[in-house]
Amino acid sequence: MDKLFRQRIQLLFFIAFTWCIISFSGCDSKTDNAEPTTGKLTLHFSHKIDSESIVFDDMRYVNAAGNHYLVNEIQYFISDVTLFHSNGTSLLLDQWEDIHYVDTDLPETQNYIFKDDIPQGIYDSISFTFGISEEKNHSLMFVNPPESFMFWPENLGGGYHYLKLNGKWLNELNQEAPFNFHLGIGQIYHSYPDSITSYVQNYFTVHFPVSAFGVKAGETQTLELVMNVENWFQSPNIYNHDTYGGDIMQKQEVMALAVENGWNVFSIEFMTYK
Amino acid sequence: MWTTSCTNKSTVTPYDPTPYEIEIPFGFPTKLNIPADNPMTVEGVELGRYLFYDRRFSGRTHPDSLMSCATCHRQERSFEAGVDHPGFPGGFPHGITGIPTPHAMLPMINLVWNTTGYGWNGLLYPTNPNPDARNIEDFVRMAALAPHEVNGDTTRIKNLFQTIPGYPELFEKAFGSKTITFTNIGKAIAQFARTLISANSKFDQYMNGEVQLSQSELNGYMLFTTEDGGDCFHCHGGFGNPLFTTHLFYNNGKDTVFNDARDRFAITGDPMDHGAYKATTLRNIELTGPYMHDGRFATIEEVIDFYSTGVLSSPSISPLMHHVNNGGVRLTPQEKADLFSFIHTLQDDDFMTNPKFGKPDKFPDE
Repeated sequence: MDKLFRQRIQLLFFIAFTWCIISFSGCDSKTDNAEPTTGKLTLHFSHKIDSESIVFDDMRYVNAAGNHYLVNEIQYFISDVTLFHSNGTSLLLDQWEDIHYVDTDLPETQNYIFKDDIPQGIYDSISFTFGISEEKNHSLMFVNPPESFMFWPENLGGGYHYLKLNGKWLNELNQEAPFNFHLGIGQIYHSYPDSITSYVQNYFTVHFPVSAFGVKAGETQTLELVMNVENWFQSPNIYNHDTYGGDIMQKQEVMALAVENGWNVFSIEFMTYK
Repeated sequence: MWTTSCTNKSTVTPYDPTPYEIEIPFGFPTKLNIPADNPMTVEGVELGRYLFYDRRFSGRTHPDSLMSCATCHRQERSFEAGVDHPGFPGGFPHGITGIPTPHAMLPMINLVWNTTGYGWNGLLYPTNPNPDARNIEDFVRMAALAPHEVNGDTTRIKNLFQTIPGYPELFEKAFGSKTITFTNIGKAIAQFARTLISANSKFDQYMNGEVQLSQSELNGYMLFTTEDGGDCFHCHGGFGNPLFTTHLFYNNGKDTVFNDARDRFAITGDPMDHGAYKATTLRNIELTGPYMHDGRFATIEEVIDFYSTGVLSSPSISPLMHHVNNGGVRLTPQEKADLFSFIHTLQDDDFMTNPKFGKPDKFPDE
């Protein structure tokens, strides 16, 4: 019995030892084949006026129309972030979770960390949709805050605000007057405000044609995306709060001006690897 | 020995509470504010309901010294006192010693979706560095101690419940021990409070395609959700936010001088939060007067009049009050009536009579 027992123990040790050798060899060969070929990308959002970080709630700014104004908060969506590779291909990132919410009161929203692995290489440019495309902008697709608080009323087109830029300006009577610079689906009225004949999708594409950057294998590339708030109000349309008032959700002609001004609101400021 | 030991083990009731599943109504958030150390259980909710209604929560037994949560939080008034409360004229509650509460009451419904902070100024919030001021459990303890509420003693309260037949067994089922602690009293009441879900109003049925709104209600809905109308939706929700609140804090233009030591500024220290308070849910709002943090308005009509012509400017007024320099949204009498009609569609009458939320037929010792 003892001899048989010892033989069995020896056999078990032999099997275990052999398994270990095979396993470690396997690990080694896996390591040899595991050279990373992809990296990661993070967008960091910041918000500036006249090239300086915004000092919120301070009536220190003057727009192109001469309005003195302050900014209280900014909330918006970007989506469809796409990378254009130097080899002519393009890559739509995080296709199934590709709408990102940014809120100046919530630091955790100010980094968009893409889940996708991104092939290493040089990318000529990057683009995104400001707001949410018609295909994706459906009511109740966000049921949790803070995104759900961005809902755009059904009777004005539904879906979600693309942007809430809330602040105050000094009006012609030198009173502090609140403004809600809100963008979303616009309405064409037959008779205001009860009869809407059609809706206007005001989302737009932001493309940085000269924004080449590299993605290194095994590393995370971070791009800082800056919203230059003063540009919402100055080019090509001089936006005067005294003219357009405190609210624009039901004023498609004014939202159209804002959309036109959106072309250069964003810039890429710096890139870092980690 | 082995046999004896086995026999003794078999007499111990295993602690095996039944998980309580909260059903998410259509369009409501899926993220719930349930602390990790107080998971919802059927047994915990049942116990919480007893404790919520048991007037011995005061820790006293003399008939003149009894007080429970339900003394002020009445189901028929959507768990507020209501302006017709027999003991609190005008709906202004006071504690067991007669000291009035510093603020009017807040709605006590759909609390499980509040993630930004409980109380008019949000003093209780999940990430609070103070571990004793984070959630409903802490509100229970604060209510037990506050001179303007129960004015009690947590040791005395838990000792009293320990002596009442039936309660130790209920605590064992809910928390695994017959030894009653005030922590577990707070947990049980908080669990019950999280079940108080109101989501079957006429507007909910309209959202589900089950009923149609009247023309006046539709007109009111249009006013509610448009900036050129009443512009209520940015703070009070709508189809896309059926909580009918953001649970955020706004200075809505009631005053120009701010000296309340319990406003949002007291929590954040941000000067823009002077005079700011939580935007309350508008569900069942018609039943829950008086309104605003100080209860200055007795009726919904008075509130609508305020937002129409009574809004005052101040440096900290919320930018969402963009009609302020006109005094408000300037509704016509017909528009006010339509807006009122819509607000009435947010009333969930089933909730006010749901026996699951009502006073138990008898207490554990009866």
